[in-house]
Amino acid sequence: MAERPDTPKTAASRYGLLFVISLYCIMPFVWLLTAAFDPGAGLFLEVPAKVDLSNFFRVFQEEDGLLWLMNSLIVCGGATLLVLVLSGFGGYALSRTHAWWKRPFLYAIILVRVIPPTALIVPLYKVMLTCNLAIAGVVRSVVPPDYVRSVMRFVGFIDGYLGLILLLATMHLPLALWIMKTFFDSVSREYEEAAIMDGATFGQRLRRVLLPLAMPGLAASGLFAFIAAWGDFLFPLTFISSPELKMLPLGIYSAFLRDSQIDYGLLAAIAVIYTAPAIIAFALARRFLVQTFGGGLKG
Amino acid sequence: MSVSFTRREAWRNRFLILPSVLLLAAFVVYPAGFAVYTSLTNEALSGPAAMNPRFVGFANYAKLLTDQNFWRSLAITFWFVLFSAIIGQLVLGLLSAMLLNRRFALRPLVNAIILMPNAVPEVVAALMWASMLAAGEYGTLNNIVAWFGVDPQRWLTSFPLTMIIIVNIWRGIGFAMILMTSGLSSISDELYEAARMDGANTSQIFRRITLPLLVPTIFLYLLVSTVSTIAIFGLVFALTRGGPAGSTELVGIYIYNQSFNSYQLGYGSAVAVVVLVFSLLVGMLYVRALKVDV
Repeated sequence: MAERPDTPKTAASRYGLLFVISLYCIMPFVWLLTAAFDPGAGLFLEVPAKVDLSNFFRVFQEEDGLLWLMNSLIVCGGATLLVLVLSGFGGYALSRTHAWWKRPFLYAIILVRVIPPTALIVPLYKVMLTCNLAIAGVVRSVVPPDYVRSVMRFVGFIDGYLGLILLLATMHLPLALWIMKTFFDSVSREYEEAAIMDGATFGQRLRRVLLPLAMPGLAASGLFAFIAAWGDFLFPLTFISSPELKMLPLGIYSAFLRDSQIDYGLLAAIAVIYTAPAIIAFALARRFLVQTFGGGLKG
Repeated sequence: MSVSFTRREAWRNRFLILPSVLLLAAFVVYPAGFAVYTSLTNEALSGPAAMNPRFVGFANYAKLLTDQNFWRSLAITFWFVLFSAIIGQLVLGLLSAMLLNRRFALRPLVNAIILMPNAVPEVVAALMWASMLAAGEYGTLNNIVAWFGVDPQRWLTSFPLTMIIIVNIWRGIGFAMILMTSGLSSISDELYEAARMDGANTSQIFRRITLPLLVPTIFLYLLVSTVSTIAIFGLVFALTRGGPAGSTELVGIYIYNQSFNSYQLGYGSAVAVVVLVFSLLVGMLYVRALKVDV
């Protein structure tokens, strides 16, 4: 809209409305931040008598905060990495191919995106259970009995990193494939053709030409995959039950459900630790939002 | 390029997409098909059916039709989507986008504030709102309404559905605003200038120019937000777990509770299939609306 000066009345209603909307958006954060730095925090918003970092120290000393953080980082980092590799190669193939399966595949991944994960959770549980049994069988035959549990912690499908990483990566793969396909569509073939003429192998083309060109696309798909995996609650809730694999969202959820006195300061501190990476990733991903979801799908 | 080169490229492309296809087949397509199969059995995690699930045909679907709780969860989901995504987020997102269409010193800050709820993980959002909506006279919302002379309320007990709608609106304004901002920026200034020359007032300009030209953006937004709002689980589950007395049991939560709390996998799957079919229908609309050029 062209910039016409506001009349005082318009200006007042403009800033008044924006003030109300901003207040609505920011109020819940006020309690979270106050409580996290207040050693005597409760459920209600109040001015802290004392402000310090003791809640944050306690997250790591009294609770298994570090473990939860590490588990979240391993699972979400692993899933993001996998999405990057798969969507990078897959998106490239989708963009360059003219085969008959291109169109059906692209329609299919849009439809996959709209399936609510809750609708798949029951059969997924059975798939994961079957895979878990198969893997446990293999692990038992190779690894001495004492170590089975600790190995399953990594390669298990239920209560294991591998299963959750694969699952989260798959769920967020369609959007990433779409982003990378669209991205490679906009990358001229000429660079590649020049490299082919110079006799470069696919490996060389990949390293010297495609990877540097693909960086912005990979940044977008990686960030969206990370944000979605990091915020996911349903899959850890369903597929993780042992304490040593607990991730941050489960840590918060279970601390919140505790029957005894809930320690809100501690809870708020965990929540702040959990939220910080999400906000940073979101801030970085912001400039990709419109181009991705204007034509793509919401994450 | 030689024929053998082209052929090699074609094989390589197939090979590059294969891992993605396998994962999607294993974790999405197969489970979706399996949900249909399970919904035709009386499979359960406990009781006699757990040992020996039987094929029961459409019995689960027949049971659905007469199940009050199922219809209630559909109704709750309908109101939830209608009031939070279609009305609340859209209106407030469009309003914010239009109000922020002018440069002023605090604009980036206001923009960031409106976007922030979007970036917060579901569980954290639930925790923050548990504090906002806490019952008792010291609850934040109770403190706020006290200025207007309203007595303290037990928000999540007395108005559970309204409250989860308010929480979800809060979470989605930013996303709607971003899409609407990009929609608004594609409307040319000259149209507005011309309308003003002709003496149109603000509300006429909004109704006759802005709104009609935003229709494609709004339509796109509605499809995307409908699908993603139906899929909401963690936000509401962590805040109310579907309660009190099932009054916030969105269809996703209903499936979860039926399957993992009542252990009725077959029946839970029948509900899942209904949701699946509906989502796919919206998805097909979406594919058509986008006129996806592939």
